[in-house]
Amino acid sequence: MLELRSVTKRFGDVDAVREVSLSVPDGAFLVLLGPSGCGKTTLLRMLAGLEMPSAGQIVFDGQVVSDGDRAWAVDPARRNSGLVFQSYALWPHMTVRGNVEWPLKVAGMARPEREARVAEVLRMLGIDGLARRFPNEISGGQQQRVAIARTIAPRPGVLLFDEPLSNLDAKLRVEMRTELMRLHRATGATTVYVTHDQIEAMTMASHVAVMRAGRVEQFGTPLDLVERPETAFVATFVGTPPGNLVPVRRNGTGWVVGGRHMPLEPPADGAQALFRAETLRLEGAEGPRTLPLELAEVSTIAGRVMVTAIAPDLRLTAVTEALPAARVGETVHIGLPETPAAWFAPTGERIG
Amino acid sequence: MRQPTIAALLALLAAAPALAQDIDAMSPEELLPLAQEEGQVVVYSFTSRIARVEQAFEEAYPGIDLIGYDISSTEQIARLQAEAAAGTVNADVVYISDAPVAVPALVETGILVNYVPPRVADRLPDEAKAPLLSNRLSTKVLMYNEEAHPDGSPVTNLWQLTRPEWRGRVLMVDPLQRGDYLDLMTEIVLRSDEMAEAYEAEFGEPIDLGDAPDAGTRFIEDLFANDVILVSSTDDVNAAVGALGQENPPVGFTSYSDRRDNEDEGWALQVANDVEPANGIIFPAVLGIAANAPHPHAARLLIDFMMGDDSETGGPGYAPFYVAGDYATRTDIVPHPDAVPLDEFRAWRIDPVATAAIRGEVGDLILTLQ
Amino acid sequence: MTQAVLDDPPLRHAAGRRRWLAPGTGLKLVVLGLLALLIVMPLLSTVLFTLTEESRGAWGDVLAGRLSRALFWQPLLNTLVIGVVVSVACVLLGGFLAWLVVMTDIPFRRTIGVMATLPFMIPSFASALAWGSLFRNGRLGGRVGWLEGMGFSVPDWLAWGMVPTLVVLSLHYFSLAFTIIAAALATVSSDLVEAAQIAGARGRRILMGIVLPVVTPALVAAGSLCFAGAVSNFATPALLGLPVRMQTLATRLYGMISVGQTARGYVIGILLVLISAAVLWAANRAVSGRRSYATITGKGGRAKRFALGRARLPLLLVAALILACATVVPVIVLFASSLAPSSAALFSNWTVHYWIGESNPAIAQGIPGIVHNPDILRAITVTLTLGVAVAGAGMALGLLAAYATARSRAGWLSATITQVSFLPLLVPGIAFGAAYIAWAGAPIGPFPALYGTFLLLVIAGTAYLVPFSVQTGRAVIQQVSGELDESARLTGAGLARRLWAITVPLAVRGLAAGGILIFVKIIRDLSLVVLLFTPTMPVMSVLAYRYASEGFTQFANAITCVILVLSVAATLLAERLQARSQPWLKS
Repeated sequence: MLELRSVTKRFGDVDAVREVSLSVPDGAFLVLLGPSGCGKTTLLRMLAGLEMPSAGQIVFDGQVVSDGDRAWAVDPARRNSGLVFQSYALWPHMTVRGNVEWPLKVAGMARPEREARVAEVLRMLGIDGLARRFPNEISGGQQQRVAIARTIAPRPGVLLFDEPLSNLDAKLRVEMRTELMRLHRATGATTVYVTHDQIEAMTMASHVAVMRAGRVEQFGTPLDLVERPETAFVATFVGTPPGNLVPVRRNGTGWVVGGRHMPLEPPADGAQALFRAETLRLEGAEGPRTLPLELAEVSTIAGRVMVTAIAPDLRLTAVTEALPAARVGETVHIGLPETPAAWFAPTGERIG
Repeated sequence: MRQPTIAALLALLAAAPALAQDIDAMSPEELLPLAQEEGQVVVYSFTSRIARVEQAFEEAYPGIDLIGYDISSTEQIARLQAEAAAGTVNADVVYISDAPVAVPALVETGILVNYVPPRVADRLPDEAKAPLLSNRLSTKVLMYNEEAHPDGSPVTNLWQLTRPEWRGRVLMVDPLQRGDYLDLMTEIVLRSDEMAEAYEAEFGEPIDLGDAPDAGTRFIEDLFANDVILVSSTDDVNAAVGALGQENPPVGFTSYSDRRDNEDEGWALQVANDVEPANGIIFPAVLGIAANAPHPHAARLLIDFMMGDDSETGGPGYAPFYVAGDYATRTDIVPHPDAVPLDEFRAWRIDPVATAAIRGEVGDLILTLQ
Repeated sequence: MTQAVLDDPPLRHAAGRRRWLAPGTGLKLVVLGLLALLIVMPLLSTVLFTLTEESRGAWGDVLAGRLSRALFWQPLLNTLVIGVVVSVACVLLGGFLAWLVVMTDIPFRRTIGVMATLPFMIPSFASALAWGSLFRNGRLGGRVGWLEGMGFSVPDWLAWGMVPTLVVLSLHYFSLAFTIIAAALATVSSDLVEAAQIAGARGRRILMGIVLPVVTPALVAAGSLCFAGAVSNFATPALLGLPVRMQTLATRLYGMISVGQTARGYVIGILLVLISAAVLWAANRAVSGRRSYATITGKGGRAKRFALGRARLPLLLVAALILACATVVPVIVLFASSLAPSSAALFSNWTVHYWIGESNPAIAQGIPGIVHNPDILRAITVTLTLGVAVAGAGMALGLLAAYATARSRAGWLSATITQVSFLPLLVPGIAFGAAYIAWAGAPIGPFPALYGTFLLLVIAGTAYLVPFSVQTGRAVIQQVSGELDESARLTGAGLARRLWAITVPLAVRGLAAGGILIFVKIIRDLSLVVLLFTPTMPVMSVLAYRYASEGFTQFANAITCVILVLSVAATLLAERLQARSQPWLKS
């Protein structure tokens, strides 16, 4: 089990991580998801033992490894964890073999055992042919594999990844995603994975923590996040395409959306309605639940069509079966369903 | 542990004077084996002639390495003070010309101690034995180029140096860098009455002091106003004044004894002796031993050596100084045949105490003129 | 928000250790302590010395009253004239050459680029000595320079004083300006210039409207660094100015200390530091107020070169003339005058006596040639040992300081370390030397005084070059990015093992190059060591200066030649090691 108890990290006056508490079982694949600057990398570095929490505890398998309240921590090397850096941090003066072997040497592993383990992980990652090359002689994807091999070689119980795929091109990224999941199954190590890419989170994670401004906005399974977003931020951050959030305001007699009166019953003034893209329709003409918007983007995805239309302060994405008749720049009518999927207060929390 | 150590130290301190007396009374023969055991003696010398002393000394007393450093008197004093403040002793023997400063700054502060070799003590006048031993008198006097002026000095009165024809043509070493030149300037101020008389003799009218407090100060001001050229070493003065083949060479204040290098260097230096009121200063070159010198016996042996042997000219130890223009303090060494006899020499004999009293003020005066 | 609800089981603490301080704080404190000892204490003890009862009067003597004009105001005026004129001349010369090399199609660009960095490798007193060998006139009588020997009459203003000082210093420091400006010009990407061309701008307009504004911070930085260098230069005004009683603050400081007027000397030194610091601070402020342009120049390619057309050859001639005066002529003159018995006939009667002759009373008062001269041989040994020791100590300290601050730049500790480590930049070498005498001239606590010891030279040299070694250390540490070290930390390797297995192998070239450059800087330095020099611990540069001021120019020049060869060879070696990127030289 991996537990965080009210973990907080302050840099000077700035709270990089605030009161984060969560726990995942052994073998879980936890993804820390959030935009840049949300504190997810700081959290990961605290897990690795590279940073000391300012408050709170980190617990691996019932043993406290960092205790911010007592300024006490277990050395990074003694936490049974391994970290794959975003930059890979391969030692450029060592060969691929040397990079993988050195940590084992430091750990005092005997030579025959060490050589066997190196060969094993190099094979596992399909880079056994590169053992004698230097990092600058291999491609980015191969460097990535070396970095992973180096990290898993000492068999850590907790594997930590810091945006490992962000430096790879799109195709390689998809391949490596699969590779990492296979590796996760093979090693069985509890994995914590930092990314800003919600698709990675949705595809790989057993658990996701969506972070914003140092806080965990929601913690749950990928399905939880899409089906039951707890906050407006989560609703618009996850899902492909993400949900549409529409502010609804009272105007004298009724409720106004995007300048038009709508027959809606929001639980509060200024609340935001969540409409999923697949529930929006493209209407031929103006109706009681349509909004006139300017067509901005059209793209086809897996046989369906993703349509984005904009008005001042409003941007809606619908997934439809057919291409719209209108051309980009012309007005289209987007039809809203009768009830939104959820309501959020102006401050972001879910209210219905 | 502590107490016995202190006790031992105290005992040592008490024994020190006795030891010092002992060692000061030793003859060269007694000193030699102990000095050879020390193997080395380090000298700070204001004259480059220490190199020749080194040669002679090492020949006379093999097994003792003389390490000589040629350092100007002013710098020696600054260094010795800094070293004393730092608690280090680098030099055993100090050979210095700047008695007016050396005595208060080095002897009265205990940095240097006086040593008079018993062998020659009875052949020295009292003023050469204290507060520091002196082996000879040195000079800073007006010199000219005798090739360009075969009929004698072109200058017969110091005040002529303030006349337009000597503008930019009088050289001396920067008095702020070399103490003996500051002593020269100080002596001129001390001899203001004589300077005033000489002024009247030269210009036929009594001196108008202007803002100056005395005639000596006025002379220095006028000399600087007349673009006296300051250089950084006496060799620069010698070369400028003495070099052969010059049509209109300058004059300068330098050591009379540097005339000895005329042949080697291609100079035609000659002393201007018939100068009113005087041609410069004559002052003792003094020797001292550093308190806590690391090689006390070798130091004493060297000083004994530098005072000369019992021959008429002082032998090899004194040979570097047995030149025209240096005057031995020992009464039994015969005067150099080529030199102006001491009693005819026109230079002022400096009074270290009087000089020390106003030297700082004169230094500040020079500072304002520079 | 749902958060995993935790019941609170009794927690077991794994075998860890308590950290009383944030990670790295201990190391930072050690580094800060070292820097305080090396840099702050000497400066502080200088100030404290001038505030003691018996020394306090020195402030009055220097700043007001009868002596103040000679002690301070006149030297200050000279110093400021030197600073302003030299920095303007350096920016013009350096800027002109940088523009030619980086932005135009002048022929021999690579050669010009290399030559323009050479003068800074030559000790500044070398050029001053060379000037004397050429232009010395009969003012001091005796020996004259080559020009007078050839029958020309050299007026005083050309032989001595302000004019030669300005020329020699400008020809020395312009290469500093060149390096800075060329690097800045190299960031002006072709995109910027092409965008201006598309907008219809032509040559002059592009230069004034686009290029100049982008490199202005570099011009200001170059100017202020040249100013700081020129005002603190000791050797040149000492050799060329003193014979005509031209004093700068640096020569005055030296004069006061060498005659034992220590308090006055220190006061002058403190004032010199303040002036130098004020100028650098003001320049830094003027530049830092602007936006940094470097980041918005994008990734643009090679700068497109201005076609000089018919001006190509004349401009090449001008550049060649500047470079010849700054490098070729001084080197030739130095070498020739170390062989010529008379500087009036530089190229005749050559003799190798001054190099390999035995003592001969007929020549130079019997001083033997440098290979037989125990003083010089000892000085060479001491100097080389000093260079190696300072290079080693400097790189160790620089690496340590850079390492300590690289891991967490935030916090007052890191900021203080950075600021203190750059403090010596504001302190002219001669004032720094004075500070070390004030500090090490007396026993410190239980430790004996360091005055006159080799250790003092090493410590002072190391401290003086701390800005440089920390900067080098930083560059090296940046190569070895934090994550490379962190990933090693995660394996459990201790500090020593990480340094040995990761940091040092990665950094060894950079370290070696940095070390060699420190070595060069220290062996050719005069201003720092001229006050720390003791006869028992001679160094080559001071020996050369002393021989020069005592009139034995051949020996001075021969020693300077040795320093010159060592400096240039070591610098070239360092550049090879570093494979220093000179983007403006890539064609």
